[in-house]
Amino acid sequence: KDILYSVLQKTIRPVWAVRGLHKSAVEVLKRPAPEDTVTASFGKFISEVKPQHLSSVVLHRSKRMVLDSIGVGVIGSTTDVFELALQHCQHMYAPDDISSVYGRRGTRLSPTLAAFVNGVATHSMDFDDTWHPATHPSGAVLPAVLALSDMMSANSKPSGLDFLLAFNIGVEIQGRLMRFSNEANNIPKRFHPPSVVGTMGSAAACARLLSLDPSQCSHALAIATSLSGAPMANAATQSKPLHIGNASRLGLEAALLASRGLEASSLVLDAVTGVAGFNAFYEDYVPQPLKLPNDDSHMFLLEEQDMAFKRFPAHLGMHWVADAAASVHKVLVGFGPGTVSPAQVQDILLRVPKSKYINRPFPDSEHEARHSFQFNACSALLDGEVTVQSFTPAALRRPDLLALLSRVRMEHPQDNPANFNSMYGEVQVTLVGGDILKGHCDTFYGHWRNPLTNESLRKKFRNNAGAVLPSEKVERLIDVVEELDRLGDCRALLSQLQ
Amino acid sequence: ALLKGHTASFGKFISEVKPQHLSSVVLHRSKRMVLDSIGVGVIGSTTDVFELALQHCQHMYAPDDISSVYGRRGTRLSPTLAAFVNGVATHSMDFDDTWHPATHPSGAVLPAVLALSDMMSANSKPSGLDLLLAFNIGVEIQGRLMRFSNEAHNIPKRFHPPTVVGTMGSAAACARLLSLDPSQCSHALAIATSLSGAPMANAATQSKPLHIGNASRLGLEAALLASRGLEASSLVLDAVTGVAGFNAFYEDYVPQPLELPNDDGHMFLLEEQDMGFKRFPAHLGMHWVADAAASVHKILVGFGPGTVSPAQVQDILLRVPKSKYINRPFPDSEYEARHSFQFNACSALLDGEVTVQSFTPAALRRPDLLALLSHVRMEHPQDNPANFNSMYGEVQVTLVGGDILKGHCDTFYGHWRNPLTNESLRKKFRNNAGAVLPSEKVERLIDVVEELDRLGDCRALLSQLQ
Repeated sequence: KDILYSVLQKTIRPVWAVRGLHKSAVEVLKRPAPEDTVTASFGKFISEVKPQHLSSVVLHRSKRMVLDSIGVGVIGSTTDVFELALQHCQHMYAPDDISSVYGRRGTRLSPTLAAFVNGVATHSMDFDDTWHPATHPSGAVLPAVLALSDMMSANSKPSGLDFLLAFNIGVEIQGRLMRFSNEANNIPKRFHPPSVVGTMGSAAACARLLSLDPSQCSHALAIATSLSGAPMANAATQSKPLHIGNASRLGLEAALLASRGLEASSLVLDAVTGVAGFNAFYEDYVPQPLKLPNDDSHMFLLEEQDMAFKRFPAHLGMHWVADAAASVHKVLVGFGPGTVSPAQVQDILLRVPKSKYINRPFPDSEHEARHSFQFNACSALLDGEVTVQSFTPAALRRPDLLALLSRVRMEHPQDNPANFNSMYGEVQVTLVGGDILKGHCDTFYGHWRNPLTNESLRKKFRNNAGAVLPSEKVERLIDVVEELDRLGDCRALLSQLQ
Repeated sequence: ALLKGHTASFGKFISEVKPQHLSSVVLHRSKRMVLDSIGVGVIGSTTDVFELALQHCQHMYAPDDISSVYGRRGTRLSPTLAAFVNGVATHSMDFDDTWHPATHPSGAVLPAVLALSDMMSANSKPSGLDLLLAFNIGVEIQGRLMRFSNEAHNIPKRFHPPTVVGTMGSAAACARLLSLDPSQCSHALAIATSLSGAPMANAATQSKPLHIGNASRLGLEAALLASRGLEASSLVLDAVTGVAGFNAFYEDYVPQPLELPNDDGHMFLLEEQDMGFKRFPAHLGMHWVADAAASVHKILVGFGPGTVSPAQVQDILLRVPKSKYINRPFPDSEYEARHSFQFNACSALLDGEVTVQSFTPAALRRPDLLALLSHVRMEHPQDNPANFNSMYGEVQVTLVGGDILKGHCDTFYGHWRNPLTNESLRKKFRNNAGAVLPSEKVERLIDVVEELDRLGDCRALLSQLQ
């Protein structure tokens, strides 16, 4: 390369004086030094950030994420879509005994396949965590990090702190990337965010766990970019969980290929005119370099922006209308015989953000129901809450529910943006007698502004994990995750997942 | 506006089109594609990136004995992994076929179809005609999808087309081979959509071949998941406002339904639009400037001592379409060199041709070549669009004495307007496949592919690939 540049300088200078050199050659000279690119800054961060840069707040919050994600993944192992994904992997590949599958004692797969099925499990019920800007960060990262840890040899298993640091890197990269675009702040229309930033987060986390150098970390991100980007149309279908499963799997794969020396674009995160990189997934895109921490600390985004955990398995937006409807239910039940009957109800008006994705007046599948303002409002109105059981086939077909659904109208007030940080949910029920009851929810319990207490989080975990695992394992998992940053060896965690 | 029914029409076509709908022109052209693709894949098995991909698969998964790997006797992998490595091989040297609108159709489809055929049980192996029909379905779906967008006609800027339509083509071909019903075929396409779309930045890097490898692999995977009953969006190809489906990959997108053939026949796009085959392993655009520069070389060599020397040359002006992707004044890797107007023009000027050997590490560093590269200027005339159907390449060399020599190429030999003869195609195949396989296998492959639509059992093809 030096030779080429000196030739260029020797011949170009006089030539410039004689005739105008074409712009493209000039642009070559102006190309940023490799170390100054956004892509390189990300690679450097991933490779060089240290455990001591994790503040106590970040340690605490990320351990809550790990616990919730495992619980959601374990109960997700009871779903049909998980079973389908698992059987596909077991039949289309030779038997392998490396990485554990959530909730299935004795079942192991090749690492990327375990990351895949565990990711599918995690997102299978739409019960996993949600961040702002919107994505589901843990499901894309944790399965990959677990699978990779299972793969690593006995004498080089990561410590609990290594593991937790890799996990946090995977989350941090997702948050940083989403901040490159204003578009990312609203409920998405084009690409499903977990399939865009989730794959990148998984690649980052795995690159760190594999101890790749900064350049290899950058290439892991670049390779992952080619494996990112699933359109929104498949969300609210049976395939949605595969978006997280694939984010996890393909990010791990990207890191593994980078560890073998595969190279891709070294400008993938930078905005190069005429050749799209990661910005292909966004309409507006302004990248910023990721500064390496100085000795004091690095402000992980998780410190500024906490995570939301769901109380029931449905799209985050549902939680606002559910809480609003539940308050109306309480009032109604106070009035009458203790249950709510459709006969009492004349009209239900929902004031919610405008989003086609979660506006489904008559959902005809479990997946659609989890993405329906109408369904969740009516369920909460009837039952006082929405739970795992609200989405069973029988529950979906309840005559009382269908009757209520037929009375729902929607309004999309201007002041109610499709944005998890600013939206609200309002349920206005007009009773047959003429009375009007109104419930309004600005911040549901579980939102980052009103986080689940540790007790509520553990209760959710016990309900989830306890549906599959014996209670000793459930309790041991709670303890191990609580101690994760002090664990000498992450096998104490790996051994409790099935 | 909500336009419905396109997704369903595609599913129906994939499931119900019949072998008799393949005209003799389409049979002939698609067999040429199969032969060329195998040859390119076999020589591709000698590349570093192929070796890396193969080792990754062999180490990260348990050993499996199902589907053959190109050029490696005795090496087999799980089906999706074989599709992956064979796809990587196919695109590893940028030597594979190119269509209009631009994509590399065969590398995304053939490896998946071969891997799947290897997987199918002995008593239900596809016939040669089944395989060829599935292959053509995979190509057809790619062509139909690209016609949904005007953007697709120009050299791409956002997503690398093989990763957008190639994955869909692979899913379609495999869905057909798996005999999925129309609804399952539609779902295969929808599942594949979530696995499509790699940005252009990674093209002209070592990772580019993985785009084709993954298109093949993930399309096959989508079809396999659909065969297990997985469902996705039934409107994925339709343009639904507010929720992007396949149109996420395009700025302008106008879907059309795919009509099921009536008894008269179905006009496969391959009949209206032939394929381009490359004569040397580089981006298609390079072939114009190479042919133009080669004609200048001929004249120069006519003048002098039989070789071209940089000392003779004062200035080289290239008049080419404007495309950042293939404008690389000083490529510093093999991958970049395959995507550099400047490099290919200068190579052809020096040597009279561009060949496989033009991209070796030694060739990349030749002092004569570097000297010529420093004399190159570029112009992007208005009448030269970045479009494989309409572009031209012009090379104007100003000699030290003042003489100006000009070469101009509108249609290189191998372009669909001036297709390689069968003899030239076989010569390319023999050079490629013969670099790895014994000559008996090379000749048997030529014969088997020629007879493919008449083969009772595709094993005669499957057994010759390594």
